[in-house]
Amino acid sequence: MNSIIGIAVKDVRTFFRERGTIFWTIAFPVMILLLFTAIFGRDIPFSANIGVVDNDGTAVTAAIIAGLNSSSGPFVVKFFTNQTEALTELNATNIRALVKFPTYFTQSLVFRNATVSLVVDETNPEVAELVSNGVRSVLSEYYKHAFNYTDPITVVEEAAVFGQKIGYKENIVPGMLTYPLLFSSMVVSTGAIVFEREKGTLKKIRASPTPPINMLIGKALAALFQTSISIVIMSVLAVILLGPNLNWNIPLLVPVLFFGSMNGIALGLIISCIGRSPQEASNAATTVAIVLQFFTGMYFPIDYLPTYMQQIGRFIPMTYAAQALRDIMIRNATLSDLLLPIGTLAGASVLLLGIGVVLYNRWVQSERD
Amino acid sequence: MIIEVEGLAKHYGKVAAVDGVSFSVEESETFGLLGPNGAGKTTLMEILCGLRRLDQGRVTVSGFDLMKDSRKVRSMIGFCPQETLLYDLLSVRENLSFSASLYSLDRRKFEERVEFSSKVLDVGEFLDRRVRQLSGGMKRRANLAASIIHDPPIIILDEPTVGFDPTIKREFWDLIKSLKKYGKTVLLSTHDMHEADEICDRVAIMEKGKIAALDHPHILKKTMGGETSIRIKVKGPHVKKALALLRECKITSSDDEIQVIVDDPWRKMTELSARLNAEGIFAEKIEIVEPSLEDVFVKLSGRKLTEGES
Repeated sequence: MNSIIGIAVKDVRTFFRERGTIFWTIAFPVMILLLFTAIFGRDIPFSANIGVVDNDGTAVTAAIIAGLNSSSGPFVVKFFTNQTEALTELNATNIRALVKFPTYFTQSLVFRNATVSLVVDETNPEVAELVSNGVRSVLSEYYKHAFNYTDPITVVEEAAVFGQKIGYKENIVPGMLTYPLLFSSMVVSTGAIVFEREKGTLKKIRASPTPPINMLIGKALAALFQTSISIVIMSVLAVILLGPNLNWNIPLLVPVLFFGSMNGIALGLIISCIGRSPQEASNAATTVAIVLQFFTGMYFPIDYLPTYMQQIGRFIPMTYAAQALRDIMIRNATLSDLLLPIGTLAGASVLLLGIGVVLYNRWVQSERD
Repeated sequence: MIIEVEGLAKHYGKVAAVDGVSFSVEESETFGLLGPNGAGKTTLMEILCGLRRLDQGRVTVSGFDLMKDSRKVRSMIGFCPQETLLYDLLSVRENLSFSASLYSLDRRKFEERVEFSSKVLDVGEFLDRRVRQLSGGMKRRANLAASIIHDPPIIILDEPTVGFDPTIKREFWDLIKSLKKYGKTVLLSTHDMHEADEICDRVAIMEKGKIAALDHPHILKKTMGGETSIRIKVKGPHVKKALALLRECKITSSDDEIQVIVDDPWRKMTELSARLNAEGIFAEKIEIVEPSLEDVFVKLSGRKLTEGES
């Protein structure tokens, strides 16, 4: 056996001796395929909540709304009694568009000059376009099909009322900033404990009176520093290369980025405590980070996800970080708008770090046995 | 007594790594755990450092119970394991600073200890060099410096000179001896009988997790090491003649070596040498052979200390 084969055989044998590495090697393609199938393997790979204010309240408007709400269509309709209430929900991104039927809409149909107004959330251009086209299509096609009229209903699209009408680069930059929160932080912190354990230096730390919580917080701070470098570089380059028209509200961005990073770091530390080898921990971190990015809306709107996956996303703190970054940079959100996401991120950071401490303690106890 | 161990036991599954061990160590004493690999020395030390849990028994350090006051006990111990636990990309000073932080040393105390390490452990010349640029001996010294940066009263050294060449080994022995001058209690493990003999005030010989014997090295040798002898090396043809001449003595011999067991070797050596010379037998070498700790171990276990080691 020559040295090339020898090295390869040794590495393959080592791979087969690490059950955790085998598990994550298999889990990665399986999970990615399942996710892609769940998201893009549907007839309509998009769904969105839209609001309706029906000031006419006739059988005709009810029929059109039923068309919008059809189970085979992309929309789930939420009813509102007035525009103000609906716009609040639009601002909170609980709905993506508002369709308003005016009084005498049905009467106007007879004279073939009926109009509805459509308010679309323009802060996500991809979603805005999909929603706008979808609503127009239903209003024209469904209406013509149902009532055998040839003239379509005129859709008056009102200017977006929240944030500015943005381009793709404005949309992508907040998503890009979520990247270091998830990837950089996790990669850095995943290596932290496994490295010390592999090198044996963890023995020195364990033999000292340093409590486990100090160890984890120290590791988290170092990882936070490294993650901050990524965030700063990414922000500066984004400004220089893309020049997006965004609201760089630093006092609001800092807590979101801080707690977002702490979530990624704590998750990495958890993996680091569980991983029995650097290879296993690295594979696990890669799989977890890539899977999580689907739920967070980093790269594509979460509206593309099936409803149940959107629900899962609500339990993933990083989703709140991604949304909060968008809200600050695109929608000019204020502190009061961000209390929920910042609170969620802070609570999740503490919880995840707590889990890290428990797992680290458990590992230390097992080592002592 | 600064360390007291009573009935200490530790099992890995059904195997008893440490089996009912009891001993105590006095303040400023250098205490050696001598035994082959697998005797339970490292496990015992790791228990004392809080790295392993004991199954049975009790350990107190300066009156503090290891199980109840684990953090307090840890702060009083400087543990230096076999392997070098330093960060290669950091300088020695940075490594020392990190170790100091684990014990919450303030800046002034840290500088004092760096000065101590420079003076006593001789790390001053390479304080600002990165660890990966250091020789093996330098790394070991830096490793010891990092282990005792917090000025612990007790220093635990696990096989401190394993893999050293004889010169560096001797330097390290001097270093350990110098720690005693500063009132440090040293507990070290070794399977090098010369090391134990050279630097330990008392030695516990461990075999299969138990202490087979414990005392001052000279007492162990005297009581369990057998008798002192005179070794005479003569040229082949003279061996028979010499054996005939010394027939009234207690003798063991090989091809060119005769070992004469006597009560008073210093007086007897001159006498034997004169008798051999008178018969025209000229010894190439004549020396007194004292019993060693190796002899003690052989007597206790029926095998040599280095047998069966990897």
